[in-house]
This record gives sequence, C-alpha cells and structure tokens, in this order.
Amino acid sequence: MEKSIETIWKDGFLKNDALVAPKLNNLYHKKSKHVIAKFNKMFKRNLIGLVLGSTLFLIYAFFNDILVMGIGVFLISNAIVIVNLKLKKTLTNINKNVSSYDYLKAFDKWLKDQLILNRKLARIYYPLYFITAVVGIWFSGNFQTLLSEILGKPHQIYLVNGFPILWLIPVILIVSLMAIFGDKIYNFDVSLVYGRIFRKLNDMIADIEELRK
Amino acid sequence: MSSDFYTNSIVPYSGIIIKICRAYTDSQEDFEDYYQEVCLQVWRSRDQFRGESKWSTWVYRLSLNICLTMIKKKNNNRQHTVSDYNAPVATEDNHAFSDESLNLLYDAIRQLSEIDRAVILLYLEERPYKEIGEIIGTSHNNIAVRITRIKERLKKILN
Repeated sequence: MEKSIETIWKDGFLKNDALVAPKLNNLYHKKSKHVIAKFNKMFKRNLIGLVLGSTLFLIYAFFNDILVMGIGVFLISNAIVIVNLKLKKTLTNINKNVSSYDYLKAFDKWLKDQLILNRKLARIYYPLYFITAVVGIWFSGNFQTLLSEILGKPHQIYLVNGFPILWLIPVILIVSLMAIFGDKIYNFDVSLVYGRIFRKLNDMIADIEELRK
Repeated sequence: MSSDFYTNSIVPYSGIIIKICRAYTDSQEDFEDYYQEVCLQVWRSRDQFRGESKWSTWVYRLSLNICLTMIKKKNNNRQHTVSDYNAPVATEDNHAFSDESLNLLYDAIRQLSEIDRAVILLYLEERPYKEIGEIIGTSHNNIAVRITRIKERLKKILN
C-alpha cells in the first residue's frame, strides 16, 4: 500500500542518520568574508561615484559659468579618491588565511586607521570645498554683473580696494567651523553610508569574543 | 555560545532545526550554513524569549523566519533562482537521508513555495492548526484549506 506523506515523514526520521546535526565550526567564516566584500564593493562604488560626480559637475560648471568651482570640486574630489585608493591597496595586505576573528580584527584595525586619516583630511577638504564654492561664485560672470550693479548704485558696503572686505567674515567663520567640525561632519557622512556595515562588523566581533570566552 | 547553552537549549531541538533547514536548502553546504545561522541566531536572540510559548515552539518560529530570510536574501542576490533550481539528488555526497522515501518527500517539499514549505513542515510536525496560523499569520480555516491543497500537490509530485 502506498505510504501517506505523514507516514513517510514519521518513518523517515526514525532512522538514526536522519537527524545528525552538522558540526558547528568557524561560525562566522562566511559572514566575515561577506561583510568585508560588501564594504569593499560599497567603497569602490563610492569612489567611482566621486570621480563620476565631480566630472559631471566639471562639465556642468563649464557650461554654466562656474568653471573655477568645477575645477576646484574636481581636483579636491579626485585627490580624495587617490588617497583612498592608496588606502584600499593596503587592505590586500590583510592575511585571509587566519581565523574569522583575526580576519575581522585585522579589517577593523585597517578600517579604524583609514577613518582616522580621513577624519583629518575631512577637516581640510570640507573647508576647501566651501572655499571653492565661494571663489567659484565670486568669479562667475553672473555674480560679477550683479556685484557691479550693486556697487554701481549708492550703497553702504565697506570696500577695501573695491573689495567688500566684511563679506569675508561669514566665509572665514564657516571655513573655520568646517575645519573644526570637519571630522564630525565626516563621521555623520560615513555613518549614513556605511553605518549598517560598521554595526554588523562590531556585532560580529562582539559575538565572536563572547563565543571565545 | 557556551557549550552548556548548545547542549541544553539547542541539541534537544536540533531535530526541528535540521528538518526546517533541509527543506530550504538543496546542498549540504547550504544546509550547514543555514543550520549554523539558525543556531547562532537562537543563541543571539535567547534573551528575547519571554516564556510565552514553549522553547521548542520559539525555536521553530525562529528557524522558519531565519530560513525564509536567508532564502529571500539568496533569491535577491540571484544566486539561486527558480530557473536554475536543481532538485537534490539522493547521493552520499550531498548527505541526503538514507531513507529514499524521505528524500523524495523532501525533494517534493522543496518544489513548494517558501510559505507552503513552512506550512507543511509545521503540519508534519503535528503542530495544531491554530499555532500554524499564528506562525504563518493567517486564519486556522485558511490553514486547513491550504494543507489539503499542499498535500494534493505533494501527492501529485510524488506520483
């Protein structure tokens, strides 16, 4: 007589080999590789995005009378890319033939070193981006026309050699704030993009440490 | 995961985990991956168990959820699509069960949708319809109809 599925199920699991659990070893082997691969992919994608974005902006700037800004943004962005590509190369030095824990710890150290350097750089490049934007606007034809119109009429703007020197105050203030808080802005920026991966990495390391106890 | 936790809270219920993981994987490698992931998540989520249900029921739910999430992720990554699905062959190499009928039943179960697999596994484990409904998120009447339909489909595949 044909067996019902209920009988097949019951009888099948009566056999000794049916419920042999696999050994638990190196629980995080695949996960660790996966999280690092994911980070690499995102990192690469972001660098490509920066190059593409700055190139597109350069083209836009060329046709929209803000060429100085376009060149500035292009140069700063690509300098960031070059620095980070060099940092990325050092990632290949991490030994993959070690335990998941050692692999993750080595990656975590690399990541922290990379973040420290980028935080320092952020205090330079965020102000530079702003200065580029201001200089770009200043040298744009539209702004110069507008400025001539304003200065051509009776005004109370304090000028030194025809330059509205007091306008520099907010610029200097913002540049200073960016130089002071550039690392914080960078942290915010990075956590928006990589926050989930960083949390995953920290959780994994914490789990493995608890498992090792 | 302490060996105490593994011995007392996972080993007695490893059968449940194995049965579920087998239904959602078609290779020994994937099976071991899913099994490890479930054990890990049971350990990580142990503090969330509030004793409102039996530990075995909780492990059941968690295992199903984890397998469903993993299979979804896998499908999203397009590493495993319906079109490239190959029913596992009962050989020693893929560590299939020695019971041929059980292998055939598992092959048939793997051809069902992810949710239907969960339903039939719970049914075969003799979980009450009410509990199956709660786990799947549907009424107990709907489960009864669904089970009849799934059993018919399985019979058709097996024949």
